[in-house]
Amino acid sequence: MSTTSGGQTGSEGAGPANGNRLFAGYATRDEFYDEMFEAPGVPRPHCRELCEALDRMSAEEIAAMQEYAERSFLQQGITFAVYGEDDAQERIIPIDFLPRLLDAADWSLIERGLRQRLEALNRFLGDVYGQGHILSEGVVPTELVRGCPQYRSEMQGLHVPHGVYVAVCGTDIVRTNNGFAVLEDNLRVPSGVSYMLANRRALKSSLRNLFRRHHVRRIDHYGRLLRQTLEELAPAGVTDPCVVLLTPGVFNSAFYEHMFLAQEMGVELVQGSDLVVHNGFVYMRTTAGLRRVDVIYRRIDDDFIDPLAFRADSLLGTPGLFHAYRLGNVTIANAPGTGVADDKSVYAYVPDMIRYYLAEEPLLANVETHLCCTPDGLAYTLDNLDRLVVKMVGESGGYGMLIGPHATPEEREAYAKQIREDPANFISQPVLDLSVSPCHTDAGAAPRHVDLRPFALRGRETRLVPGAFCRVALVEGSLVVNSSQGGGGKDLWVLSG
Amino acid sequence: MLARNAEGLYWIGRYLERARHGCRLLAEQISALEDQPVEQIDRNWRRLYRAVGRTPIGGELVSNGDDDFMLADAYTLTDDLTFERNNPDSIRNCVANARENARQVRNVIADSLWSCLNLAWLDLSEVGIEAIWTDRPEVFYERTENAIRTFSGVAESAIYRDDPWQFLKLGRFIERTQLLAALLDAHIALFPTDDPHHESDWRSLLQVCEAEFAYRHLYSLRHRPRFVIDFLVVDARLAHSIRYALARIVEALDAVSGGRPLESAPGRRAGRMVAAIDYDWPERAREDDAATQAALEDVRTSCRNLHDEISATYFDYEIEDTP
Repeated sequence: MSTTSGGQTGSEGAGPANGNRLFAGYATRDEFYDEMFEAPGVPRPHCRELCEALDRMSAEEIAAMQEYAERSFLQQGITFAVYGEDDAQERIIPIDFLPRLLDAADWSLIERGLRQRLEALNRFLGDVYGQGHILSEGVVPTELVRGCPQYRSEMQGLHVPHGVYVAVCGTDIVRTNNGFAVLEDNLRVPSGVSYMLANRRALKSSLRNLFRRHHVRRIDHYGRLLRQTLEELAPAGVTDPCVVLLTPGVFNSAFYEHMFLAQEMGVELVQGSDLVVHNGFVYMRTTAGLRRVDVIYRRIDDDFIDPLAFRADSLLGTPGLFHAYRLGNVTIANAPGTGVADDKSVYAYVPDMIRYYLAEEPLLANVETHLCCTPDGLAYTLDNLDRLVVKMVGESGGYGMLIGPHATPEEREAYAKQIREDPANFISQPVLDLSVSPCHTDAGAAPRHVDLRPFALRGRETRLVPGAFCRVALVEGSLVVNSSQGGGGKDLWVLSG
Repeated sequence: MLARNAEGLYWIGRYLERARHGCRLLAEQISALEDQPVEQIDRNWRRLYRAVGRTPIGGELVSNGDDDFMLADAYTLTDDLTFERNNPDSIRNCVANARENARQVRNVIADSLWSCLNLAWLDLSEVGIEAIWTDRPEVFYERTENAIRTFSGVAESAIYRDDPWQFLKLGRFIERTQLLAALLDAHIALFPTDDPHHESDWRSLLQVCEAEFAYRHLYSLRHRPRFVIDFLVVDARLAHSIRYALARIVEALDAVSGGRPLESAPGRRAGRMVAAIDYDWPERAREDDAATQAALEDVRTSCRNLHDEISATYFDYEIEDTP
């Protein structure tokens, strides 16, 4: 790597003040794929230029940019709420300033893989809420689907516009030494896309020259694509549909994102109490009376959509909304009941769905998964607890999880007891050798584990912006990237050509 | 626009006007602490508390005429009106509430407008009475008032003149009308118009209302109580007069009703309020403070009714008869 101080590199190339080059102490390790280096001190070809430019910057410069970005997040209110303490606190998701780069070939694989996967998942939902062929043919066990807490019998026999149940999908993808794999399909109310866009804005303004030189593909049209997608899903016969975004309200931890997306799309942000159902149609209360609503992009869980149809004690929903939906007078996106397809057990069957509906081999692999509801899976899980990650089927956000190798024998024993009591509620997966990417730390750049969550949209066709919310486990050695558990974000640069 | 958003903007207007008013009153009072006699300062505190409709901590304000006692009191009272979390109208709470409302209507106002308020709040939430008291308190009030003025300036240039703008305006000027009427009432109660010893207090009243400069140009350096009162009530060219605020309310209601203000209760109410100032106010018994105070009380009652009618017409209406 070059150690000459810059001048030729523009504003970023002020040169290190002393010997503290960013990557000086950076160590790669064979067991983890490194997103930036192919060997110690040798950047991957598509990262070389970035690497050299960053290495000419001092750690102080990077730290200053990072601090500036985080302060501007706070000032702009790019925050999520954390509950549990006295007051709800507004916090930012920490941003790590070193971008992660994906070359065109890698992105192309991810994009094609996601299109394929989303197509199969939508067909699966249409099938299980329709004729149920995949169940009667024994490809996916019927009891797994019908017994899933996210299965909504109310959706049975309902037709949705263009067969689209999942309009917005945020899939968690990891890279291991064996390539990319899908860790989780988030098909209900996936979040994080606002951080993808906020991280990009922050990096773009600080690393402007580098950004230009790398031909990073743009992602700022996400709001437009989302609106287009939602408009395409309007009930038949509606021209110029009125789209709204339904939020549980300001106390929801993702409220900032709801507001941000409403703003990006130029649509109203409504709460359940702003909507009224009258004669089977949905309206919102405006200052000039009621206005008809055609498409609801809901960021509220199934249970809270309509107290008449789902949870009666919910104060968040709109009475009668599901009735209007059943009549086909309004579109709810994502459709209620999509959770049956991103259940942690059903997940294991997604590759089979792809083969069944599309007669294609999956482009993106699944992570090897053992279902404790099967005798083999249960036995394997209990025998290998010290080598596995065990997850509760109904939990998300990294909660209720056992990371076998990091647990004490007592913890494992206690967890095993829980598994034996209710095997169907658990699945296990091998501990993944998640790839690492350099992150800025007090001691210069250091490897940290990362994943990525691209967002795929499905209206009349499937659309993606070339980017993702890249999550990073900021704690050394940690594999947990969830924002609620100390994870941070990174900008992900998809390079063109 | 969405009714809840309109209500949010209306409240932003009200809270910011209330915070601004508090800043001016307290800045004026703090400067009085420097050179006014203790008796005078006590009277000012009574006027201030009456004007904002709050009972001081511990009930009545008592004074033993002692300087140290007065300053300790001033510290507590200033804290109560500025930072007290249990005082719904403290400056801190007004800014916090305005900002919280703005957070919920971000998608209908400009980003620059939201940032203004968020920054003002982040600034304010970092200080308390100890910090501003050891420094120079008036600097704090000036800074807070300037942040609110910045908001108004940005709003002026960044908001499209449709419903969001009109509801913001409506909130601001209803609040202004109500605050002015309350302040005038409190002032008259403590400084009767026929008492010749309070000329400097009438000047201070004009200063609170940003009207001293205009008054000096238009009239004289002599601050005659009844002139001052009329100026603050009927002069339609003075931004902090009741008549000016009512004219803005009428404009806003005209716009949000689609040019048919008389078809709804708020429009008719606002029209009657204007008529009361134009036709009834000059005919009251000018020498009689009680008559003036009664007229001001009518203004305040009308404001409360107007608020309820706006809420029932635009925010929280019954839906049986619509579509």
